[in-house]
This record gives sequence, structure tokens and C-alpha cells, in this order.
Amino acid sequence: MSKESIVEVIIRHTREVIPSLEGHQVRPTDSLRALGANSIDRADIIMMTLESLSLNIPLVAMAKAENIGELAGIIHEKS
Amino acid sequence: MRSHSQFDIGISGLGVTSAIGQGKAAFISALLEGRHRFDTMRRPGRQRPVREQPEESACDFIGAEIAALSVPEAISRSLLRTASFSGQVAVATLHEAWEEARLHEVPADRIGLVIGGSNLQQRELIQAHDAYRGREQFLRPTYGMSFMDSDLCGLCTEVFGIRGFAHTVGGASASGQVAVLESIHAVESGRVDVCIAMGALMDLSYWECQGLRSLGAMGSDRYAREPSLACRPFDRDRDGFIYGESCGVVVIERLSSAQRSGRPPYARVSGWGMVMDANRNPNPSTEGEVAAIKAALARAGLSSADIDYINPHGTGSTIGDITELDSIRQCGLAHARLNATKSITGHGLSAAGAVELIAVLLQMEAGRLHPTRNLDVPIQSSFNWVGRDAVLHSIENALNLSMGFGGVNTVVCLQRAA
Repeated sequence: MSKESIVEVIIRHTREVIPSLEGHQVRPTDSLRALGANSIDRADIIMMTLESLSLNIPLVAMAKAENIGELAGIIHEKS
Repeated sequence: MRSHSQFDIGISGLGVTSAIGQGKAAFISALLEGRHRFDTMRRPGRQRPVREQPEESACDFIGAEIAALSVPEAISRSLLRTASFSGQVAVATLHEAWEEARLHEVPADRIGLVIGGSNLQQRELIQAHDAYRGREQFLRPTYGMSFMDSDLCGLCTEVFGIRGFAHTVGGASASGQVAVLESIHAVESGRVDVCIAMGALMDLSYWECQGLRSLGAMGSDRYAREPSLACRPFDRDRDGFIYGESCGVVVIERLSSAQRSGRPPYARVSGWGMVMDANRNPNPSTEGEVAAIKAALARAGLSSADIDYINPHGTGSTIGDITELDSIRQCGLAHARLNATKSITGHGLSAAGAVELIAVLLQMEAGRLHPTRNLDVPIQSSFNWVGRDAVLHSIENALNLSMGFGGVNTVVCLQRAA
């Protein structure tokens, strides 16, 4: 799967977890934290993404990502 | 001799959510009209998933479910996303009581919260297990915090900014009333000025329903195809309790401080009793129930003759109902008016003790007593039953009884405050 497609999956789940983003554009350069996701929300978003992609990657590998694009990059690398 | 502190405790606000209605106005009008919602239960996870034989459908679990929960707009949707159904009902119900008692005017560190009930979220836990069995690595991380009942404490304290203390207490089907008793102690001792007691919604999965049916506690084999007839406390043809989703919240504080809202307190909590049977099993005991009633009357400084209404535990249990009537008679209380709230709401288990206390308060306010559904042939006709129709009655002193598996007997005595 392309990195762009992974970005789309992350954004879809981010919108599910943070309903208040409805009507707002979400970009790969946005950080989940800045979008209003607390640490529990971020863990859920990542897990939902891994579930959608059927990828078994330890969550700890994702800790360094600063924004959605970087997160997609790490997932892309490990997939 | 009655101490001032015991005499001075009252109830300044309440909130209630039940299958028969959300909010006190809807709840009391449904009670007085005897409007029920018993049916085959449909909430996902309430019925056994595999049916190999069509005739098995005759054994579907019957109960009363909340049709559509309304959660105030002010409550963050992202917080609700990870809240269980029990948690969402808790927040919505507490909101009603919070507003009524104007608790935003009380310093946050002087408010406590006691949530009655344990193993509250079973249905959603089972659903998560079923969804992720064999691919456990994808289980939502939030499961790691939300599986604990105390997540309801976290949720409610965050939404309402409560900073005094909060914890859960368990007492099986008496949990709601145990929460009330703990809240009374918290106010009497000065630990907080206001204590919120909640009987939380116990969200049964089909596993608990099956266990309770197998145990002989939950009905109804007899009325499997007639859900409206299944729930019949104190009637000759009862065959066990029928579940009903509910949650009740009462605000407990000193009567002298409960004047913020300008409305008079609902009632004075004049006495209470809690006695254990030293028996782990589900069977009740007259000895324990009588002792709890006598303790409550003694604390209130009242005699049996002073009690004019009793809201009994009355589940529809074969042995429980007989035992309870024997206890009431032994205490010289057979003259008091008697109805069965569960005949309309169903049995809320952890919630029951708080929800039925609210039923007492709202009947006290209404000056009427609600009917008892399906009481066609009372197991003992000599009691002062409220039968098919509501009756006018001005409650001065009421007793509310709750019993739980494991030998728990609790009683609260409520007195008209004004």
C-alpha cells in the first residue's frame, strides 16, 4: 500500500476518534496532538489504522512520529 | 437517642434514567400510569448468539431496555466515544441531579461521588472479546482503562469537575442503596459537604442473563411468549426477576446547606440499616431483613406505626418475595401501603436501590402511589397493596428496602422534610 493511502486511512480514523474535526481539512503535516487527540486517542487511532491494514507492528515503533505524514511513513516502512 | 447529625441529612436533587423514561418527569408519569417496556431484549450482546434450533427462541431473555438515551450537548462527544453505555447513562443521569441541586455553586473539593455497582460493563466487554478473539493484538488500547468500573468515576469526575473523592462500592442488587449509605457517612463525617450517590446501570451480557436464569433468579420460562406478563412481583405466578436497564442518582447533604436551588429538599434521610446474613448465597433471610428494618427505625426514632408506605425490594423471586413479606409483617408493618416499582421498571440490579429510593421521593412529591403491575393474585392478600391503579396517598414516613446476593440487607427511612 502506498504512503498516500496509509495517510488516508489514518485521517479516516482520526475523524472517527475526533468527531469535532467534521468540516475541517486534515493534512499530512498536521500532528494528531494539535488536532485534539490525547495520548489515549492517539493510541486508538494508530491501532485502528493497523487493524484496517492488518499490520502487526508494535505501537512503540510509532512513538517518534511528529505528524500524520511521518506516522504513515513509519507504517509504510514496516509493512 | 437521635443525634442532630443523623437527623439533618437530606436529599436535595435527583436524576433518573430508566427504560420507562429519562428524567424525573417522564419517570414518575410512567410509574403512575404503570407504563412498561418489557419485551424480548434487542441490545447487541443480550441474547445468546447461536441458535441451532428455532424453538430455542422461546428462551430469549426478556427485559426492559432504554429506547434512546439523550446526553446533554454540553458533554464532549470525544469523551463519550470511549464511554461505555453504563458510562454514558451515568453522565446523562448525573447531569440532571447536578443541575437540580445546583452543584456548580459548591466548591469542587467538597463534593464526593459514590458509584454503586460492580462488573457494570459486561455486555460491552463480551462484545470486545468476541470481536477481537484470535486477533487480540488489535484490541483498542482504551479497553485497558475502560474495563474497570472505576472508569465511570473518572468519566463523571472529569465531566463535572468533582475533586472531593470518588469510588465504587459493590453490594450486588443492594449496591445503589449501599452507595446511598456510604454517601450519608461521607457527609455525616464531614469528609465532604455534598455526596452524590449513584446506582449505576448494570449492562448485562447474555452470559450474566444465562447465569442468572440457570440460578433460578431471573424469570421467565412461564411467560416466554408474553413479555408484558413476565414481571410480577408478589404475584402467585411469578417465576423470577425481569431485568430493566436503569440508573439513579441522588444528592445527599445536610438539610441546613441544601437551600441553594430555592426548592425544598425532597426528604430527610431519617434512618438507615445494613445487616449481613453471614451467607454467601443468593437466598434471603427474614432474620437479616428484620434486623435491618429495626435498625433503620431505631435510628429514625420511629415506631412501626409511624411508617405509612414501604417500597420493598420485591423482585418477583419465588423465595425472596415471601421472605420479604414475612419480614415486613414481623416488624409490625403490614398496615403500610405497599407497591412494587420493579413491576414497572424491571430489576436494575446495581441501580435498583437508588432508582427505587427516587421512586419513593417522587411519589412523596406527587402525593400518589404508583400501581403494581400483574399483581393478579397476591401471595399474601392481607397487605395494604396498591394494585392495578395509582392511589392518592401523602407519604410522611417511608421505608425503602434493598437486598443483594451474599446476604446483604439494607433499609433507608425517608421522612417528609417540609
